[in-house]
Amino acid sequence: MARVELNLSLNRVEGDLEIAVVLEDGVVAEARTVGTLYRGFEQIMLGRAPRDSLVITPRVCGICGTAHLYSAVLALEQIWQVPVPPNAVRIRNLCLIAEGIQNDLRQTFLFFAPDFCNPRYRDQAWFAELTERFEPFRGSIYRQTLAQSRKAVEVVAQFGGQWPHSSYMLPGGVTIPPDLRRILACRAVLDDIQHWYEQVIVGAPLDEWLALDSADAYFEWLETPAHADSALGLLSRCARSLGLHGMAAGTRHMLSFGAWCDPQQASGRLLPGGFYDGDSATLSPFDQQLVNEHVRHSWFRPYPGGRHPLNGETVPDFQPNSDRYTWAKAPRYGDKAVQTGPLAELLIGGDALIRSLHAAEGGNAWLRQFARVRRIAYELAGARRMLEELAADIGQPHILNPAKSAEIDGEGFGLIMAARGALGHWLKIEDGVIAQYQIVTPTAWNASPRDSNGLPGHWEQSLVGVAVQDPDDPIEIGHIIRSHDPCLVCTVHMLDSGKKLRFAP
Amino acid sequence: MATLFWLQTGACGGDSLAILSAETPSLEQLLTDHGVELLWHPSLSHQPMSQHDAIYQRIVSGEQTLDILCVEGSIVTAPRGTGLYDSYRGRAKMEMVRELAQQAGVVVAMGTCAAFGGVHAAAPNPSDCIGLQFDRDRPGGLLPPEWRSRRGLPVVNVAGCPAHPHTMTQTLAGLAAGWPLPLDGLNRPQAFFNTIVHQGCTRNEYHEYDIEELEPGGRACLFFNLGCQGPMTQAVCNSDLWNGVSSKTRAGVPCFGCTSPTFPREADLFSTPKIGDIPVRLPLGVERARYMAYKNLARAAAPARVRDKEMDV
Ligand code: SF4
Repeated sequence: MARVELNLSLNRVEGDLEIAVVLEDGVVAEARTVGTLYRGFEQIMLGRAPRDSLVITPRVCGICGTAHLYSAVLALEQIWQVPVPPNAVRIRNLCLIAEGIQNDLRQTFLFFAPDFCNPRYRDQAWFAELTERFEPFRGSIYRQTLAQSRKAVEVVAQFGGQWPHSSYMLPGGVTIPPDLRRILACRAVLDDIQHWYEQVIVGAPLDEWLALDSADAYFEWLETPAHADSALGLLSRCARSLGLHGMAAGTRHMLSFGAWCDPQQASGRLLPGGFYDGDSATLSPFDQQLVNEHVRHSWFRPYPGGRHPLNGETVPDFQPNSDRYTWAKAPRYGDKAVQTGPLAELLIGGDALIRSLHAAEGGNAWLRQFARVRRIAYELAGARRMLEELAADIGQPHILNPAKSAEIDGEGFGLIMAARGALGHWLKIEDGVIAQYQIVTPTAWNASPRDSNGLPGHWEQSLVGVAVQDPDDPIEIGHIIRSHDPCLVCTVHMLDSGKKLRFAP
Repeated sequence: MATLFWLQTGACGGDSLAILSAETPSLEQLLTDHGVELLWHPSLSHQPMSQHDAIYQRIVSGEQTLDILCVEGSIVTAPRGTGLYDSYRGRAKMEMVRELAQQAGVVVAMGTCAAFGGVHAAAPNPSDCIGLQFDRDRPGGLLPPEWRSRRGLPVVNVAGCPAHPHTMTQTLAGLAAGWPLPLDGLNRPQAFFNTIVHQGCTRNEYHEYDIEELEPGGRACLFFNLGCQGPMTQAVCNSDLWNGVSSKTRAGVPCFGCTSPTFPREADLFSTPKIGDIPVRLPLGVERARYMAYKNLARAAAPARVRDKEMDV
């Protein structure tokens, strides 16, 4: 048996990703994902005023800062028990949705699709058509995606002043009200994106596409020119012809915190969350007590087992030549490795088509990408609903600032669905300043290394069994890893206690 | 054609994402109409990484001309000056930047992290971050203060967290055309840093008449109580609107001064430190002795529509 060890680096992901794989006769027998950057955000938070988290933590990630801002503000609101007026929730949702649309479009058409333009696929029937549409900077869909995604973030700029990196969600609401000008400007942007999505991306009106509810119906649809010739149809045909629908399931357990807060009831979610147990195919409510993080294979001072984020410890202990191999921690739900992202979000949230496709073929690389494009339909419909509710309720408050006396010490957490999946911030406030800050990002769940029990994370599991034709251009690994929408910048960890103390005398 | 190589060091990717929002010119236009040839961008190039390594080697050996090197992100120097907390295939990114910079016609620090260290260099600076040619506000970062690129320029600091989309693409377009690029005292291209955020802010009339918010969410000025750095911060945010539509201060978010070498400052970012009744930092060029006299007069003169905050912003 030919055994080869390969160290791969991957571009078109956010941040720095290296993957070590062991190939046996050209098939991945073992994989390790390596986060190669350590920055130290959580340490930077220590000793700062609680609201500073709204400025600092969005800068963890340039692509999903709105989601970090949202988690951070929810955590503060939980500790201070601050009510949030419905219009503020609507504006927050609207901005998160716009950021999601941006991400889902860019990830699909700028990061994932270009892999199919690889010269290796020159002989495939779809190659010419595909290159014409997806080739970087030249392809028609590629260029349209650049234009549409930059329009999408205008919605965030309307309420946040800019995208990326703004701090317009504050405890008790948002910084500006929904006036008619802003509502209509957002509406115009979103209408345009919707028309393009209907005509070019899925080839059907939104309602019809959302009503599609079974795998059989979809496969039938895939044979019709209207969908087969659309961008998603083409992507489905290519991915399926390469077998991506039978590959790379990874862990079967899935996690969603539920998408978009319910404006009428702060703790509720418009799309329900929960934990999907892949062994028993059952759903249960999410319990944040069950989250813990292991560091057995990470470059941090070891501790036994896993720790809940509020008791987390992250002292760097860089050991490049040991069995520890990454700056990412290993989050677990109970003792389970889970995956998160649009597939988990829609499956747990109850999308009939995704449930049916999942039942038919299991989790796989194609379905993850497919779910991401499908989610855009939910995002467009959700944004429309938020705008209409805002317009109907335009005079209501957009912020109820908490009294100074409400800004008490305590501990809390904020959980949200970012574009890439379940994002949580946990923090403690002591003596009016931040005493502990711990972030568990979506990619931390997906890119997790092995835990104390030796259990590999989701990507590591998903790569096992994949055949790699050319180790110099391991494009199969690119398809699979990119189908998870990797974001290494926000995964790699940071210390929250250790040698350097901020306000040391 | 001006060749461009983009490298990410300790970054969040925000500058790469922000540049996708540029429109005059857009990133696509830079490549099609402004003579920029993109040799590599980590988020956008679709060739395999083996090609990245080959291009890198050709640049370092002098076979491939490198006209513009863009660096996005702080320079991570930990642990103990090795830079290995930020590595590529076992090599410190810091070393790669140093090698590429020696070959580059011009080196551009994209964003405040690359320019000055940025958010990652905030106290206690856990990964020992510095900027390319500044360490916060002190000259000399990864490269010494006297260092010059092949074209005779210091590192061009396109500051901002993230940098403004047009500050990025217009700087690149100017450099690709070979036009002169006057720099300010912090090596930022003057054209984009000779205006302050306060100029063009829609809350400016409130500022003039000293109608100040006590709490976030209102229409008036954010300077006196809520920490706005607009009057001290050089950037185009209010003269060339973000995403074509707005700016932080227009949206009621205080300016945090993200183009400054000391961003983020060591204080509660949503409050304005004062001595007695006077903010510690006054708008650029304003004399302390005159400040209160002028403010009291202005407030007394405020028209009712401003005093009662009736004007939409
Ligand atoms: S909010 Fe800031 S930028 Fe706007 S007028 Fe007031 S001080 Fe100037």
